[in-house]
Amino acid sequence: MASSTTSAVYIHVIEDVISKVRDEFINNGGPGEAVLNELQGIWEMKMMRAGVICGPIDRSSGQKQPTPGGPITPVHDLNVPYEGTEEYETPTADMLFPPTPLQTPAPTPLPGSADGSMYNIPTGSSDYPTPVNDNSGGNTDVKGARPSPYAQSPSPWPNQRTPLSVDVNVAYVEGREEGDRGTSNQPLTQDFFTMSAGKRKREDFATQYHNSGYIPQQDGAGDVTSEVTNLEGSKGDNDLDRCYSATTEKIKVEAPSVTSSSKIPQQDGPIPDPYDDMLSTPNIYNYQGVVNEDYNVVNTPAPNDLQAATPAPVPQNDTGDDDDDEPLNEDDDDDLDDVDQGEDMNTAHLVLAQFDKVTRTKSRWKCTLKDGIMHINNKDILFNKATGEFEF
Amino acid sequence: MATFELYRRSTIGMCLTETLDEMVSNGTLSPELAIQVLVQFDKSMTEALESQVKSKVSIKGHLHTYRFCDNVWTFILQDALFKNEDTQETVNRVKIVACDSKLLSQ
Repeated sequence: MASSTTSAVYIHVIEDVISKVRDEFINNGGPGEAVLNELQGIWEMKMMRAGVICGPIDRSSGQKQPTPGGPITPVHDLNVPYEGTEEYETPTADMLFPPTPLQTPAPTPLPGSADGSMYNIPTGSSDYPTPVNDNSGGNTDVKGARPSPYAQSPSPWPNQRTPLSVDVNVAYVEGREEGDRGTSNQPLTQDFFTMSAGKRKREDFATQYHNSGYIPQQDGAGDVTSEVTNLEGSKGDNDLDRCYSATTEKIKVEAPSVTSSSKIPQQDGPIPDPYDDMLSTPNIYNYQGVVNEDYNVVNTPAPNDLQAATPAPVPQNDTGDDDDDEPLNEDDDDDLDDVDQGEDMNTAHLVLAQFDKVTRTKSRWKCTLKDGIMHINNKDILFNKATGEFEF
Repeated sequence: MATFELYRRSTIGMCLTETLDEMVSNGTLSPELAIQVLVQFDKSMTEALESQVKSKVSIKGHLHTYRFCDNVWTFILQDALFKNEDTQETVNRVKIVACDSKLLSQ
């Protein structure tokens, strides 16, 4: 019951949309009605693959569409596009979608689902002689599309997954840069340490430390990064090393030193901290001992400071770090993302609706919804009104 | 007429979005036209739900999370029970996203 009514409503919506955008497609230099029919065909095919449209009902929609062309012509058209779709499916799937090969076994249901596409495409072809080519192109599109619609849950998400994964990578790249900054910061922090040491010894020594401080810092930083990358390539290790060096130098006194030499050291110090905290737990240990005060002081301004503050010597360290760090980070991210998305897909029971009223009495919630689409247990159910009673 | 993009996340909306994406990416369709189609879908879907759907549903469950942000209610239910006239479904975890119906009438 529910599925049939849902199917009827969906078909109505498809027809409504197609009919109301027809002017846009035909007039004003639009792509033409063939493209519109292609759109409808692919859309309905995806819907059938998703199992939310029933085959028989689709025919009625197909008949309605043919308004421009004779109702009889669609029959011939049906056969042609039907075969074409099947042929195309496997190759196109391979061509367009790498994941499709897995899904290709699914296409067997095509005959049932193909009806809608067939109807749609034929109308376009009948109207336009040239569109035949378009139809073939449409079929190819369908092919590519089919694998995804067939296993609806996997297909739409995979498409999104790639962009998501890309985004994640980018974010990680930034993280790396930041991490690199952190490594670059190490020299600064070391300078800072030297500064602090000079301060301890009192500023007479400070000048000497400054001059000599930069060179050893660069060397130290580069060495540390290389070593770290060799070990695990993780920023946390760098931080740890930093901490050790700091502790060895008895930098626990940093607070006064920071205030005195705050310019360079503060910016560097705080910057790596937030990211490190974000990325790995081991960093926390570092901060507990040494950087707590710095972190608090510079914490908010840190992001701005980070970018501006990056010193020239950094790039060398960055390149090295990037090479080593990227594969590790990317792999981790992808795995996590895939897992998360996969879980979401499997458990993606979703209700989309409008609410009229939401009330709460103590822990008891009541809400009235209307005009909703529910996707539950792989079924689409529409409702005009819904009442919800929830216990929080 | 105001519309919600809410329903684009439904099966029919996702299918349309995928189709448009493919047609835009292979050059058959201009992005502008694709957006027009989506906007029309928003309208048509909303109208169809108003005019063609009469069924009523009751939902019960344990409210795990609630959120109200930008006039959108989001509920995450656990062990939810959905009933309508002829069927009932149980789901161990479901997300409800609801826009303010008053926004449409404005």
